[in-house]
Amino acid sequence: MKTRIKELRARYDLTQEDLAKKIGVRRETILFMEKGRYNPSLKLAYDVAKALQTTIDELFIFDDD
Amino acid sequence: MKEKHIIIMGIIITLLVTMSFIFFIIAKKTYEPIDILFFALPVIIVITSAYIIHDKMKNLKAGLPTKDERLKNVAYKAGYYAFIAAIWSALGSNFFSNLIYDHDLRGGLVVAAVVLTSGFVFMISYLYFSRKGN
Repeated sequence: MKTRIKELRARYDLTQEDLAKKIGVRRETILFMEKGRYNPSLKLAYDVAKALQTTIDELFIFDDD
Repeated sequence: MKEKHIIIMGIIITLLVTMSFIFFIIAKKTYEPIDILFFALPVIIVITSAYIIHDKMKNLKAGLPTKDERLKNVAYKAGYYAFIAAIWSALGSNFFSNLIYDHDLRGGLVVAAVVLTSGFVFMISYLYFSRKGN
């Protein structure tokens, strides 16, 4: 799974810590999501998308295989 | 506030375990090779606990939560491995005692082996999964 979190975070000039504070998670969780090493719950995915003013399907890119 | 209380409790428990361990070493007069295990496991558990408490305090100071959904999942996963380790250590401790010393372990020692092994596996798995991501 790939994400556009880093790209959108840069667009809104947010650091990982800023985004983590906005959503109420730890900074490492944002880091692992950005790297595609953590599959968030639907609720967290929605919160991240909302914080970055986008939608879940715009934020997360799923590989078919 | 609740998170602060959890951290304070964690510090108190870690200190109590450390003190009990020190008293145990002072009171023990004869040492056997297996004692190295009984010394090494609490030391590792205390060091990893101190690290986890330090990490939680760092997050609390930065205004971030000490636990989120990822860490809850990590704790469940580590708990699962600790449970498996507890079962195997309960079975294995007597087996190895019979193999090495040709006698069964006392009940208290089996309990100690189960607590130490499951605690050790929990801490190591928790650290491993929290650094791994998923």
